[in-house]
Amino acid sequence: MRSYLEKMKASRVLLLVLVCSLLLVSFSTSLLAQTDSDTDTPADSIPAIAAPAQVTDLKAFDTDNDHGHSITIEWTLSADDGAGAKSVISYEIMRWEPFVRDSVMAARDSLGWVQARINKFEKEIPLAEESLDEVLTGQPFLDSLSFLVAYDEKDTSFVLTSEYVDKTLRDTIAAMKRDLPVLKVRAPLLPARFDSLLILLPKEYGKYPDATIGRFDSVGTAVSGVTSHENSSAVDSRSPGFIPDFIDYYYRIDVQTSDPNIRTTSEIVGPVQSSGQWFNSGLVPVLIAILVFTILTMIFVQLAKKGMDLYVRPLAGIEAVDEAIGRATEMGRPILYVLGLGSAADIATIASFTILGRVAKKVAEYQTELNVPCYDPIVMAVAQEVVKSAFIDAGRPEAYKDDIVHFITNSQFAYVGAVNGIIMRDLPATNVYMGKFFAESLILAETGAVAGSIQIAGTDEIPQIPFFFVACDYTLIGEELFAASAYLGREPELLGSLKAQDYAKAVLLASAIIGILLINIFPEYGETFKSWFEVID
Amino acid sequence: MLSTIAMVLSAIVGLSLIYLLIRTIQGHPVERRIVFIYIGLAVVLPLLMNKTLPLPITKDVIKLYDQLEKLQPGSKVLCAFDYDPPSAPELQPMAVAFLKYAFKKDLKIIIMGLWPQGPQQAQQAIEEAMLDPIIAGKNLVQGEDWVNLGFQSGNEFVIQSMGTEFKRMFPKDNRHIAYGDIPLLQDVVNFSNVDFVINFSAGKPGTTEWVQFGVDRFGFDMVAGNTAVQAPMMYPYLRTGQLKGLLGGMTGAAEFEKILDEKGKASTFLLAQTFAHATVIIFIIIGNLAYFSSRKKKMAGTP
Amino acid sequence: METVSIWIAAILTLGIFSFLYKDNPLYKACEALFVGVSAAYWAIVFYFDNIYKKFYEGAVTAEEPDYFLWIGAILGLLFLTRLIPNIGWVSRWPMALIVGATAGLWMVGYFVSNAMNQIGNTISNIIVRDAATGFIAWGETFGTLVILVGVLSGLVYFFFSKEHKGVFGATAKVGTWFLMVTFGASFGYTVMSRMSLLIGRVDFLLGDWLHILR
Repeated sequence: MRSYLEKMKASRVLLLVLVCSLLLVSFSTSLLAQTDSDTDTPADSIPAIAAPAQVTDLKAFDTDNDHGHSITIEWTLSADDGAGAKSVISYEIMRWEPFVRDSVMAARDSLGWVQARINKFEKEIPLAEESLDEVLTGQPFLDSLSFLVAYDEKDTSFVLTSEYVDKTLRDTIAAMKRDLPVLKVRAPLLPARFDSLLILLPKEYGKYPDATIGRFDSVGTAVSGVTSHENSSAVDSRSPGFIPDFIDYYYRIDVQTSDPNIRTTSEIVGPVQSSGQWFNSGLVPVLIAILVFTILTMIFVQLAKKGMDLYVRPLAGIEAVDEAIGRATEMGRPILYVLGLGSAADIATIASFTILGRVAKKVAEYQTELNVPCYDPIVMAVAQEVVKSAFIDAGRPEAYKDDIVHFITNSQFAYVGAVNGIIMRDLPATNVYMGKFFAESLILAETGAVAGSIQIAGTDEIPQIPFFFVACDYTLIGEELFAASAYLGREPELLGSLKAQDYAKAVLLASAIIGILLINIFPEYGETFKSWFEVID
Repeated sequence: MLSTIAMVLSAIVGLSLIYLLIRTIQGHPVERRIVFIYIGLAVVLPLLMNKTLPLPITKDVIKLYDQLEKLQPGSKVLCAFDYDPPSAPELQPMAVAFLKYAFKKDLKIIIMGLWPQGPQQAQQAIEEAMLDPIIAGKNLVQGEDWVNLGFQSGNEFVIQSMGTEFKRMFPKDNRHIAYGDIPLLQDVVNFSNVDFVINFSAGKPGTTEWVQFGVDRFGFDMVAGNTAVQAPMMYPYLRTGQLKGLLGGMTGAAEFEKILDEKGKASTFLLAQTFAHATVIIFIIIGNLAYFSSRKKKMAGTP
Repeated sequence: METVSIWIAAILTLGIFSFLYKDNPLYKACEALFVGVSAAYWAIVFYFDNIYKKFYEGAVTAEEPDYFLWIGAILGLLFLTRLIPNIGWVSRWPMALIVGATAGLWMVGYFVSNAMNQIGNTISNIIVRDAATGFIAWGETFGTLVILVGVLSGLVYFFFSKEHKGVFGATAKVGTWFLMVTFGASFGYTVMSRMSLLIGRVDFLLGDWLHILR
């Protein structure tokens, strides 16, 4: 018995030795093979690239003045980028990722996918069931359809019968119907799973640098010569590459060369967290400018309300309005008022409403006919209100008819065509064009001139002003339109804001002059001064 | 044959203009319909001649071209088509030339429109670009090489919202495929993920809105092709660098075609444009002569 | 089919051109057709893009309905209260929202793009030197001067609180000249634009319709 045991032991030892020697042989062969290839390469192929110098001064910080979910990484170029060995082609931005992140992303992908399939099934199953009988009956060709299936030894033909098609289709539909309720129960659980995984993330990120639970992954590349990168995602947690806020991230930069195997990693920076800011400090100059302007407006509106006489220089075009209305009355011909193509929210259209109010009031007093064709339905609605109140103010509410202000169409040239038609048929004594105008300006003004009407125009669309200039009797240039509405309306709000605008312009004018003087005499101060005006957030 | 007849006729028309000039000086003003006929002839005859003009390329177009040349193959370009058929003669040649260039260079194109007919114009431009044998040979796939997101109403609010997320404004493309299922858009969240923006614009909403709500807020690089009416208003933005390049009207389109080496409609229209301009200039002179001579007569008439 | 549509387009084009001679029934017919078709087109576009695609698909049938769209829809419906005289005033609420939101959005946009960035760029060295040689680049310097004088005098012209008299008036006059030159340039560009449109139509008539071209 003992000898048997010893024999067993001896055989085991023998086996062990054999295995070890085999391993040794295989290892040494592989080692030899490797040395062989190593000695081969430099002889007749591209010379090996030396590992490039790593990037230095690596910094990672939360991107400023944003909605969060973004981290900016900055570095100093590798010594071999554009200089030294000039071997750098790009920088790969690497972030430490716990493996659980893959599950998070997988859950996110399946969220949309499953829901889409459910919707598809729900929509298609009843349709398929309904049309099944219809499709299969009266299809004689189904029975005669045969396929030739080639095997190695012999050819077999396969006949597609209607019974077969019918069974397969019904089976498929039945399977889909069976799975659908299950899917519908399981699908709503997915978002919860996704959310719970998302909650898990901060903890896993906190375990850095445990190599068993995470690794460095590429999150972007920057080409050579670039020294910063923004690693950002959308706010939606289901967007691709989502970066949750308030999580510890670690970054490093790999310097890449034309050989993918030769790269140099940098030191690792972190932890860094992303977060959103409530206040965008880059926009402080705009805030100051708007505050100054608002305060100016409030001051002047108050002054106007207290009855202070705020001077506005007279504008020829506006003085002409009354005269033109008088002329229309004398001639017994209508007045055409065009509000332009702007929306009710355009400042030019709003200014035009005030002027329309004034014109409508005079028209009501003089009992002249008024026609206001509109391009925008909302503008039409407001214009109707304006004209109605003007008629009431003039003490002639009975003269107001809803079709004084009417809608034409929302298509530019069709609108022009229609207004042209009105001008040529009605031959208005006066045409007033106030508001936003585009390509139609000349066509309208030309037709009006041919019809022999007195024409008064005003728009803030600078390209259109020349056309009004040549074809109209009076033209309000740009801001003169807004000034006109303040001048006519004499309302404290309008007058006050016009004054505030004037002072804002004075401030801008002074700033420009000071800036130009500074930059030409003391360039350093000038540049600083200039930078206050250049805002890009 | 047709071309020769057109040339002879042009010469006759040119001579008759001198006759009109003399008649005006003699105090016989030209009737407006005559002006229309001349403008009509000035457009029709050169088109029949089928000739192209030598064209110097302006600084602004070179600037725009340099920007395009900087783009690497595979770069994603957002193309906003903000115009409709009435402005197509000016803007469509630009769009076609750009798309041909972009497809040849393997740029990835994302199309959208703030005008309802814009994306349809884009579709036509794509179809025309696809006729080019080199591009046809590439077998480009919608959704992978280019995508048409269609129209979205809301004007400048659309641009503002796209700054956060494109998907919110364009949940589906024009084929009704969900944003998330389009391969080209997998990594495109907002403006940060596109390399360049080009806008073809005929009015409002258009380049102004893109500069104010896009470039100035989200800081991307943008160039624009504008109708000639609109172009002068864009020069301030060009000077400050808010726009990186500008094509103005048909001349801009012709220069663009030339610099990209994609001969198209704009180049063939240039002669007609030149003739029409010359005619307009002559009539401006005639008109002014008539105005001054009539004023002189009035002055002489008043005691 | 395409031939038919080309013929329709050609006849309509000629119909509109006939206005150049004088107003006539054919022009009126074309005009009415254009107005009608475009009104219908816009109605359809707005229905499909806004009510159907944006609202119905976004807030009703979507996988994750966007409930904010309901607020917009309700505000939109409030516009219709105009049709009921007694509660017509309610329609001012959505209007207030539109005007307020647009004004807010544009205020910052205008300040940044048209005031601050533009003034920032006006502040520049008057004397421009050639980067390579260091000599004064006269052309560029002249350009900078023109822009400078133009911006400053233009601003003065649009100053409404003071009558245009004396030095102020003279500066405003210079501003007017600058404006006129701008308008001239703009006019030229627009003539170019209109000619392009005409060329486009003539190209259609001679090419697609009559096949004389190409």
